[in-house]
Amino acid sequence: MIAMFRAVLYTQWKWSRLIVVLGTVAAFAIPLLSLQGAARADRGALQAQELLRAVQSWGTLYPLLATALGLLTAIAAWAPDHRGRHIHALTLPIERWRYVLLRFGAGFVLLAAPIAAVLIGSSLAALTATLPPGLQSYPIALAVRFAFAVFVAYAVFFAVSAGTARTAGIILGIIAAVILVQVVASIANIDLNLFGVAQAVVLLGPGPLAVFTGRWMLVDV
Amino acid sequence: MSRVLALVLAVSLPASPLHSQDSLIARLRRQADSLLGSWREAQKLADVADSLEQVRATAGSDTIAVGGLRIIVNPSALPWRQAAELAWPVIDSLYGSAAEDLTGHPYIFRAVDPDSGVRRAVLHVGVEVPWDLDVRATTALLLTTVTPPSFDPALANWLGSALRPTLRPQDEHAVVFVLLVTAPSEAVRRCFLGDIARCKDVLQIGDTTGLLGRWYATPAEREALVTQAFTDYFSRGATAPTLQNCRQHRDDACTALLQSLPPGSLPRPLAHAARLLLVREVLRTGGRDAYRRLVARPSAPIGERLASAAGMDIDSLVARWRNVVVAARPKPLTLPWSASFAAIGWTAFFGICALRSSRWRL
Repeated sequence: MIAMFRAVLYTQWKWSRLIVVLGTVAAFAIPLLSLQGAARADRGALQAQELLRAVQSWGTLYPLLATALGLLTAIAAWAPDHRGRHIHALTLPIERWRYVLLRFGAGFVLLAAPIAAVLIGSSLAALTATLPPGLQSYPIALAVRFAFAVFVAYAVFFAVSAGTARTAGIILGIIAAVILVQVVASIANIDLNLFGVAQAVVLLGPGPLAVFTGRWMLVDV
Repeated sequence: MSRVLALVLAVSLPASPLHSQDSLIARLRRQADSLLGSWREAQKLADVADSLEQVRATAGSDTIAVGGLRIIVNPSALPWRQAAELAWPVIDSLYGSAAEDLTGHPYIFRAVDPDSGVRRAVLHVGVEVPWDLDVRATTALLLTTVTPPSFDPALANWLGSALRPTLRPQDEHAVVFVLLVTAPSEAVRRCFLGDIARCKDVLQIGDTTGLLGRWYATPAEREALVTQAFTDYFSRGATAPTLQNCRQHRDDACTALLQSLPPGSLPRPLAHAARLLLVREVLRTGGRDAYRRLVARPSAPIGERLASAAGMDIDSLVARWRNVVVAARPKPLTLPWSASFAAIGWTAFFGICALRSSRWRL
């Protein structure tokens, strides 16, 4: 089983190494760039607000990077199988679910690199910066949040990619039905806010994308 | 004889404009008196109109009395009594013994159906509220509209807002912490680090001379203040060249511009929340009569009034306020445990969805 995993991991690395390397470089660079200039101790009292504003602006890139990494890694994991119409996978002497599990696990291993890069980059940025009194850095919390976001994004897109055309059709059909009902309700002047409900279900509380919301701050009070 | 005549003429000539000036002053004084009389008459008429309006607005209403609260309301299903029973202890804990004076400031509410298209009489006294509020919302309404007893203009000007009970005290503390950390003022930063004299400066208690230098101590702060807050104000007319000099990092120009501002218009480095929290700390420290002592001498300096109300010297009071603020650091932006478990759960859920997929069905 370990040999099989190694083989799957190696092939998946070959298919997605460009994505992983670029993602790792970006994940390392964003925290450092977000604190650029904070190492100067002579910036005075004007520094705190400017610094928080810069950190907040750069913070929007973390969920975007997590989404991009999850999407591209998931697509790369299935693209050769889709191209070969899954004939190779079906000829292997292994159950389908085991094969999918190996691919799923290999993706997680590859995505560990950008997560580690965020942790190292943000720790380095926090260590080299001179923060104004009252502000603190949260490199571990940021890296943990980034890890969860990457994993959720990868799992969502992996499930969609692993599915059949029929599954994709069902998902798209449900989305289209929601939009259609909302449009009809608006035309009929019915007080129905499906988009708001969907947004609350997906983005708030225990929703699947809740980890993406909120402020991604490396430095805060 | 001609010399005497000349002397009389010499004396009378300068006296004639003085005489006419005297008559002008007398005429202006008469006009001012007339205006004052008219204003007093108008005031009386307005009082009569207000009392008539109050009678009209409260006709057929019930009066609910809980503690010192008097709530005059039209018949409705709103839970006024329960709300008043919840609000009164909070109000009483803020104003202390002065809360009893609230009997002289009754609330007047009219519950209305916000969705109704039926026209209703316009009232100029009291507040209209939707009749479907729950106990929590009604309590919040009472707390946020209470009239602070004997709240004088000097205290109101210094405070920058009305002194009312807060619904979320911890949030207020956290807001002041963030203000202390992020305010673009070296004085505020030094206050955060424990310099009590700077705290008194930025809270505007004590010496009020040379506020510009005390509040915005560095040239960079003064330049930022001019270029960010007053660009439009100074960019026209005679101050435009000075503004250009200020933009070229000339501190004398920036300082001159800020000193030319009308009195009282220099932005305070700390928002009103900081002073509000100081007053709350004063009232908490000073006991039930603290509010009475605070409003007892409206003409006294604010620092003296606060110290008298709290029953301690102003430096100790400010140090206490700072300790309270510093202890109220907001919760860090860490991911809550529930969100972490939810993320793990959703990852597993979508993974299982993928495992159950089949390629036999294309």
